Amino acid sequence: MTVKIVTDTLSDITGDLAAKLGITEVPLYVRFGEEVYRDRVDITSEDFYRRLINEPKLPSTTQPTPNDFAEVYKKLAKETDEILVITVSSKLSGTFQSATQAKDYVQGKCRIEIVDSTTVALAEGLIVIAAVNAVKAGANLDKALDFARKAASRSHLIAYFDTLKYLAKGGRIGKAKEFLGAMLSVKQILTVKDGEMAPLTRVHSLRSGFEFLMSVPSRYPNIEGLAVEHTTNPQDGNTLAESLAKIYPNVPIYRSIISPVIGTYSGPGALALSVLEAEKK
Amino acid sequence: MSKVNTIAGQELRDMFSAATTWLEKCSADIDALNVFPVPDGDTGTNMMLTMRSTMEEAYRAPDHSASGVAHAMAKGALMGARGNSGVILSQIWRGMAQGLDGKETFSAAEMADALRESAEVAYKGVSNPVEGTMLTVMKDAAKEAKIQVDNGEKDVISMLEAVVSAAADSVARTPRLLKVLKDAGVVDAGGQGIYIILEGALRYLKGETELMRLRKPQMIMSDMPLTVPLPQAIGVDEIPFGYCTEFMIKGEKMDPEILKKKLEKKGESLIVVGDESAVRIHIHTLDPGMIVQFATKLGTLHQVSIRNMDEQHQDFLEMQKERMPTTDTAVIAVASGQGLVEVFSSLGAVAVVPGGQTMNPSTKDILQAVQAAPSDNVIILPNNKNIVATANQVQSLTEKKIKVVPTKTIPQGVVALLAFDYEADFKANAEIMEKALTSVKTIEVTRAIRATNINGLTIRKRQPIGLLDDELITAGDTDLDVIKTILAELGMKEAEVVTIYYGEGIEAAEAEKISASIMAQYPKLQVELIKGGQPHYSYIISIE
Repeated sequence: MTVKIVTDTLSDITGDLAAKLGITEVPLYVRFGEEVYRDRVDITSEDFYRRLINEPKLPSTTQPTPNDFAEVYKKLAKETDEILVITVSSKLSGTFQSATQAKDYVQGKCRIEIVDSTTVALAEGLIVIAAVNAVKAGANLDKALDFARKAASRSHLIAYFDTLKYLAKGGRIGKAKEFLGAMLSVKQILTVKDGEMAPLTRVHSLRSGFEFLMSVPSRYPNIEGLAVEHTTNPQDGNTLAESLAKIYPNVPIYRSIISPVIGTYSGPGALALSVLEAEKK
Repeated sequence: MSKVNTIAGQELRDMFSAATTWLEKCSADIDALNVFPVPDGDTGTNMMLTMRSTMEEAYRAPDHSASGVAHAMAKGALMGARGNSGVILSQIWRGMAQGLDGKETFSAAEMADALRESAEVAYKGVSNPVEGTMLTVMKDAAKEAKIQVDNGEKDVISMLEAVVSAAADSVARTPRLLKVLKDAGVVDAGGQGIYIILEGALRYLKGETELMRLRKPQMIMSDMPLTVPLPQAIGVDEIPFGYCTEFMIKGEKMDPEILKKKLEKKGESLIVVGDESAVRIHIHTLDPGMIVQFATKLGTLHQVSIRNMDEQHQDFLEMQKERMPTTDTAVIAVASGQGLVEVFSSLGAVAVVPGGQTMNPSTKDILQAVQAAPSDNVIILPNNKNIVATANQVQSLTEKKIKVVPTKTIPQGVVALLAFDYEADFKANAEIMEKALTSVKTIEVTRAIRATNINGLTIRKRQPIGLLDDELITAGDTDLDVIKTILAELGMKEAEVVTIYYGEGIEAAEAEKISASIMAQYPKLQVELIKGGQPHYSYIISIE
């Protein structure tokens, strides 16, 4: 029986791609006041971002419950006896914890292993995709687990934030707090380092932000995959993806929308670029 | 949503018991915040232990009325109070007990009254109340409760939601009120604790116990920039901290007020609270022996604790290492004018050496800043062509590694600092920053100091003149004339962002006119106006 792969919706592998890869996604929750929505199950990204911009009160987010994971494990356990779970960084969300606790609720001989991706968005998604490919190539759970852990260290997320307002209010700012309070209206380039948000550099305009993002892949000698995401600005994301495709014609470039859960912290006008380095031969 | 109109003793106990567990989950995070009054780094633990003692007593209370529970909590808090924050917390519970005295249950309005009383009693317990601490947060929380009740709010949950939100805002504001917090880039630890206790109680009332089991409280962040990211700068004074001395006296006919007066001159951070039969004392003193000797005459001493705060300070510094900036390279800039200094420090320069056109700093001035920088790798931004050479000399005088990025104008310094890459090493950063200089043009507007003929221009004394990247290229009748001529010369096709720093002696209204005029002429530009406050130049304009 082949290994089944589970991830959370923060990996931003949506719709068709998720179906094609044969993975199961466990949604996080976003909440506007008393209204609770499952990430991209009960609310679309477009609707969410419209409300994020227009409503005075910021939404809040919650990890899946252990039970959410347990239900998925139980269902999959009927089809397989090996499950690999890849979650968002445990320093950014309690999802990893829920996924781990859920193991106790599943009886039987199904083995479940959980990997902390130490990142988020498609940087997490690229690890999931790499793990799916490894399983397709015949990896068993132990091999896939080892492979995913190694891929986690090769996956990098660089994000352009139009504002840090949302990140600061949501309390998940991490080391990036060094960027708070700039007197000029600068834009921030952040990364995820050691599992939490960290400062990278600053730019003064979207155009220079673009130039910086375009220069990021050249930092890595061999690239296995790239991914571009946006929040409220699909056009910016498309332009970035197209420009990258010209420079890296042989690298797959995935395109998605930043999860509402992450959008709660990134705010409107954000862009995310993920780079999965190739394995060192 | 469920509404709660009254709260009974049982619920009062359970909500704060849940709040105690909630606080416990983040007491270590609160410890890491502690800088006031001395950085001893245990506020979170102290508050948590005080709350435990508070709740233990609450569960022992035979009287299950709200009044009975509140009095038991006040007693437990006084018995178990630890540290400055714990003692203040005990006063908050004492105020609460006074407010709820004789009540079987209480309403939103009665709770608002009790919160007000809590804040008042807490202020009274401290000999020198300082704003920007847990006292302020408690006061702001109580104030919001009153506003809610005055607006006719009857639901305790809705009222508490507003109170918790007000407390959060108050915590975020603490660095604005207290410089030591601003310098350390943190919010007040005790205030944070108060917020989390209130928030925990609210969550319990909302029925979020399952969520509280799985999650951790979120810390409130400072809404101020971290301008001095050096842990060494926290409590910089070389004054020894002495001993944190705490104990409880059990005796008869004691008067806390008289005791407070007697001890006032003997140390810092004095707190004396209690009643005739039990008084708790907290003081930071250089001579704890004298304090203890004095106290033994009044009754029996209990829970005596004398801790060396210099040692605690060392532990605190160790703990602060985790909070160090993420990079090992420090940047120092040269600039004059309050606004420009703030621009550089808000962008992460660890020091700004005063200086600029006609006021060049000495090598020694820059060297001092280099030596004080929290890193062995220092990048200097001279921001003036006459200071580049001075900056270059620093390397021969220090063991530290120095790179001078030869910024000749303030805008060059700003783009260089913006380009700083937190992941790059020292050498790479110097290169990245130098490369960024080509992305900016600088216009400087000043007054001719004498009549002259230069570059084919005839210039009258005191006439506005304009420089583009340090080269004199035009003179005009007004500052705006000069600026417009140079902008026209530049073409501005490639430009995206224009930042105008207006100087000392320029009215904001005048600067706004110039900014509006540029925006009207170049509608696609992003134009930003900043009060630079620099001497000598009426305007410094950056074009990126």
